[in-house]
Amino acid sequence: MSLTRRRALALAGGTLATPFLVRPAGAQAKVTLSFLHYQTGAAGQTLRRLLDAFQAANPDVEVRDTFRQSEQITAEIQAAIAARRPVDVAQVIGKNIIFHLNNLPAAQINEDPAANAWLARYLPTFLDLGRVGEKIYAIPHAYGTPQLYINRDLFRQAGLDPAREPRTWDEVIEAAKAIVAKTGRGGVAQLHAANKDYGTMLMVTNAGGTYLARDGMKAMFDSPEGIAAMQLWQDLAVKHKVMPIANDQQWTAAFSAGQLGMYMTSSAALRSFVAAAQGKFDLGVTNYPLFGDRPRRVPNSGAAVMVFAPEGPRRQAAIRLLEFFSRREVANRWSRDTGYMPLSVDPLADPEMAAYAQEFPYVQPSIRQMAETVDTDRWPAFGAIEAQTEISNMVDALWAGRATASELVPRTVARVNDILAKANPVR
Amino acid sequence: MGASRPEALVLSPSTEEGRRARRFPPWTAPALYLAPMVVLLALFTYWPLIHTVWLSVVKWSLVPGRPSVFVGADNFAAVVASPLFEAAAWNTALYLVASIPLKVILPIPIAVFLWSLGPRGHVYRTVLFLPTLISFVVVSVVVLWLLNPMGGHVPTLLRMVGIAMGNPLTDAHAAIWVVIGLSAWKVMGFHVLIYLAGLASIPRDNIEAMRIDGASDWQVLRDLIWPLLAPTTLFVLISTIIFTLQQTFTPIDILTEGGPQNGTTNLFYLVYQLAMRSFDVGQGAAGTVMLFAGLLVLIWAKFRLLDRRVEYDR
Repeated sequence: MSLTRRRALALAGGTLATPFLVRPAGAQAKVTLSFLHYQTGAAGQTLRRLLDAFQAANPDVEVRDTFRQSEQITAEIQAAIAARRPVDVAQVIGKNIIFHLNNLPAAQINEDPAANAWLARYLPTFLDLGRVGEKIYAIPHAYGTPQLYINRDLFRQAGLDPAREPRTWDEVIEAAKAIVAKTGRGGVAQLHAANKDYGTMLMVTNAGGTYLARDGMKAMFDSPEGIAAMQLWQDLAVKHKVMPIANDQQWTAAFSAGQLGMYMTSSAALRSFVAAAQGKFDLGVTNYPLFGDRPRRVPNSGAAVMVFAPEGPRRQAAIRLLEFFSRREVANRWSRDTGYMPLSVDPLADPEMAAYAQEFPYVQPSIRQMAETVDTDRWPAFGAIEAQTEISNMVDALWAGRATASELVPRTVARVNDILAKANPVR
Repeated sequence: MGASRPEALVLSPSTEEGRRARRFPPWTAPALYLAPMVVLLALFTYWPLIHTVWLSVVKWSLVPGRPSVFVGADNFAAVVASPLFEAAAWNTALYLVASIPLKVILPIPIAVFLWSLGPRGHVYRTVLFLPTLISFVVVSVVVLWLLNPMGGHVPTLLRMVGIAMGNPLTDAHAAIWVVIGLSAWKVMGFHVLIYLAGLASIPRDNIEAMRIDGASDWQVLRDLIWPLLAPTTLFVLISTIIFTLQQTFTPIDILTEGGPQNGTTNLFYLVYQLAMRSFDVGQGAAGTVMLFAGLLVLIWAKFRLLDRRVEYDR
């Protein structure tokens, strides 16, 4: 038989296609999961290592992870679903979760009630973010908790005892005044995050107020507690002059450079601050300050993980991945390597974590603060950017000393509620 | 038959080629030549444009299988009613107006000066062009450091000479000028390069002739160089109008997020916020259509007003 061109082509095509067409007897079809996340640098590498460990334990599943900026993940999920590209699992910023529940095909994680057994490994309040009644749509994952970072060298230069870390806002202000007066450096600042939304939510919640209604449709921080919290933020800048007016990037850079005495930001910043302080200044870490004698209540920052895989093998594999994340040793390893909060009930029951907490005491404040962490407030998406901008403008006006909190806060809350009502009409 | 028609289509009908020519109409060859570009334009420019117009009149989450509801002009009305719209519109006008002297006019004397230096000016061209190559993200982060009130170089240096400087990025009136200045600095070298290309085509003999006639530097610039640079100036003007809002996007996002007090936002950034932060596809699309229409009108007006005055024939 002569080898004509047509036969040669058929032979070549058949040879190339063989690996795709022939499956060895007994081999399972491999499921490929697409995982969108915003972890980069060391945290991104840690995530990949965990996914590799999951794959090793589940050889029938391959997880392809894709990095996107945190604020772009929701739009990316939306675009992927629109284009019918697979997006099975995604890290979702907590405050955006209502949009996913209402507008995107998010899967109920405990559709099979057996899932409740492994979901119980998490601290119950950490599941509230993705809870709708008895249904769970998100698991906690990259959760941060705010804590107070201290430049202990500036404390010493200001004549303060660095071993006596400020416990309340009053103590923070006194320490900040001494730092400004004695060192000429910045006293204190607090992360406000995009549109100053998280910073405002944090101060109001910790002062005992309610920031947003549970459904995200009504701002409620015009309470006496909310106004007192906002007045405190103004006083830091205007009355006590201990907070240099800047943005998050500038405060972070200043604290890393040893130019700022105290900075309140997420536990997720711990690794970078430890690295920045190396050989430059003595770093201290403690819990977020109490508002007077009120119990500490701090909303988490960061992201939960949701499943968007369609019913079938991909969704089953995605749920298995979430179950893997929930294991105490996995959650603890994730926390140790990234600085995010431990998520399991009693994380120190894991001997490896207990030893780590002894060896690296900087993590102890975030472990202590777990029980005082509440779920972040959730916006309804439509109208949120305008509402958050109103809040941002209010904080700018407070810092500029244009009016007091009792004048500005009620006006802002009224405007925010008007915006939310117009953007989300009851149909 | 036009002389430019492809040879294969004008051969005698008695030949093989001639018979093929009878089967294919005369526009076939040019259409085939144009097809790749037309297909690409249709797929990646005109279809998205048409689709965006459609998205601007519906309420939809983009999820296949979920219904899109026709809402007419509601999305447009919502964008205009947004509390961010007024500030965004005013700032857009300010960005465009302020960019003309900084990005269109200022590069001309710089280019003329470098041109007058001849080969000695090459090193300055390189220095001026360098910012164009640096990413906006990097430049914005550097500006954050430079202006940091806690140890930033600019406030520290000013303090050494007795000047106390606030933080312009948290000042509602000053922040926009940081963004404008940054974007102007970033494109300065590129625009100078474009003007230098325009200047290279001006015959030096004409300048010599004017000088022999006793013309001063100013007269040479005003009566010869400026008119002959008019086509280049128009090009730089149009591209400034089109690209200024894009050039300010990254600095706004990194430095101010549109604040303080909506002081730096613009329509381009508002569209991004609506589509990518509020995930409102309809309003994002409506804002895009409005922006597109506005720029189209602006460009059309510029051509109507200025293009007739430009002398292309040298």
